[in-house]
Amino acid sequence: MRAKVPFRFYTASQLVQITGRRAAHLKEMVEELKQVEDSSIFYHVHHAYREHQFAPGMYPNDFAHWVKDELGESVLAERLASLNIKEFSDIATLRQRIIDIIVDFLNSATEIRKASAGHEFYFCSNVAVVMQTKYLAYTLDEFCEGLKRVGLRSLFFHFFEARLRLGHKTNDFSMWIKDNFGDKALADQIEALDPYLYTLDQLRDKIAALIRGDDGREESSLLGDIFRWLRSGLKIISR
Amino acid sequence: MAKIRLEDYKPIIRTQNFDEIQLLAEKVSGRQMKMVNSTAAGGGVAEILNRLVPLMNELGVHVRWEVIKGSGAFFGVTKAFHNAIHGQKVEITQQMLDIFKETQEANLADMKFDQDVVVIHDPQPVGLIEAKEKSHAKWVWRCHIDSSHPDERVWNFLKDYIVKYDASMFHTPWFAKQLPIPQYFIYPAIDPLSEKNRELTRSEIEAVLKKHKITNDKPIITQISRFDYLKDPVGVIAAYKIVKKSIDCQLILAGGAASDDPEGAQVLAEVLKASEGDKDIHILNLPPFSDFDINALQRASVVVVQKSLREGFGLTVSEALWKAKPVVASAVGGITLQVIHNVTGMLVHSVEGCAYQIRYLLNNPKIAKQMGIYAREHVREKFLMTRLLRNYLLLILTLHHPKEDVIQI
Repeated sequence: MRAKVPFRFYTASQLVQITGRRAAHLKEMVEELKQVEDSSIFYHVHHAYREHQFAPGMYPNDFAHWVKDELGESVLAERLASLNIKEFSDIATLRQRIIDIIVDFLNSATEIRKASAGHEFYFCSNVAVVMQTKYLAYTLDEFCEGLKRVGLRSLFFHFFEARLRLGHKTNDFSMWIKDNFGDKALADQIEALDPYLYTLDQLRDKIAALIRGDDGREESSLLGDIFRWLRSGLKIISR
Repeated sequence: MAKIRLEDYKPIIRTQNFDEIQLLAEKVSGRQMKMVNSTAAGGGVAEILNRLVPLMNELGVHVRWEVIKGSGAFFGVTKAFHNAIHGQKVEITQQMLDIFKETQEANLADMKFDQDVVVIHDPQPVGLIEAKEKSHAKWVWRCHIDSSHPDERVWNFLKDYIVKYDASMFHTPWFAKQLPIPQYFIYPAIDPLSEKNRELTRSEIEAVLKKHKITNDKPIITQISRFDYLKDPVGVIAAYKIVKKSIDCQLILAGGAASDDPEGAQVLAEVLKASEGDKDIHILNLPPFSDFDINALQRASVVVVQKSLREGFGLTVSEALWKAKPVVASAVGGITLQVIHNVTGMLVHSVEGCAYQIRYLLNNPKIAKQMGIYAREHVREKFLMTRLLRNYLLLILTLHHPKEDVIQI
């Protein structure tokens, strides 16, 4: 079966911008969160996931990481870390949720801890430069082949940026499959994946496996090994 | 030495990064760029530009690199500025400011800026921005210095120039300031093909150890850094002595002490005194351009230490991580971006912490090895020259789309 409209793989390269805004404690954090650009929120909830594929930390977003490391507020760090980004389809709602979690914590806090000088939270944002790649797919086989060849930044663009940053509400792959092949079940299965629990390599394997109809237990990349080791073995290192 | 080409990095970096460089290069091919700094050789900026400029030219971006001219008095002034930006108390006189301005004007008279993008490195040539009005270029100021606690007077003097630029680049977010122009966060980078980082053979490493009369018969712990109080070499010896009580190991402290730096000589004397009576401590006062020896010493080590009390970016950490060495380092400055605690190395805050983590790694070679693998991957993705090249190509594209956060090319 051939698509009416081919899937064109795009990729997005990113340049990180320093906003000059910073927060030394949670009250400042809330005030800054109200004002920073959407791109800053997007950056801080994805930065660790996107950039630390080889070395993911304990917390999946920068807010949780800072709250734990610099303020020592473990309870709040866990609440922020457990935020499921997948549940949000726009930045405004996500921003408000982060603010609500912190305000809720502050309402029952007995002290306002302050980060030491130089350890404040520095708000950054990113500029995404979106470019067309040479990969094009008319069929699902060609799509899987393209997915294999295209870089992981392309996957990130179509699965994460398109959904949350460009306001597509779903990932680009599901949209194309539904529109061109009418396969709503497959589109829904791909959309139902929780991408934040995989590395990008693993996510790519999962998508390809769903399209091919196998169980996806084929990841064997270095990334996958590291990720699995970290999830299961971090305690060994942490002692 | 044969000319290095982009293709030479292909086996080293991830395919997607190599492809992305080529894709970005297609978009900016034919653009003209000028880089200006204050020295053609020696120092980190020249080291980076020596590699970056030919690579950009190979990709079709016509980059011209020029160096400003200045008298000894001018460089004395800029050295004082440098120290002041680092936060040291320095006396700045009106005469010094006049010398600085006069040198900028003299260079402006000699230089043309007819490119699309001009990148000015560090404070020495910052005043060239006065040519902006007559050029159609986008102007970018690249700060390579730790500017987190600058002397206010010097910073305000330079800021009057900086705000005229179209954009600026800093190594870390905490080096940046509140500025009305975009500030990009771009890490510095190491070159995996340089003499300091290229792969070495076993015999090359052994030859260097032999040259320095070191026998590889017990685990080697190494810190590479100049003899400076801020690098805390005496603290490293103290940590080593704690480790030595339970594990038979040896310590290498290798670095240089600049001949014009009286403090350096004093630190070296203190280090020698602290190491007296222990034949397993090797103090190597290396001459300039000892990159090959440094490479071999890092590779011969089981654990590399960077126990700085204060640090700019501390790129020497990435050099060790690239060699798949677990690094025990102080949680200061840019080190915290390179060492992810418990994953690519260990971050510490004291002599005791440093000793404990060294002991842990020496007793757990499998974990040390695994950490080294992650360390290398972390550097492969974030701190290599090719990532810097990618950032520069992106910068060219971004400069022409100010205030857009998603740019469709």
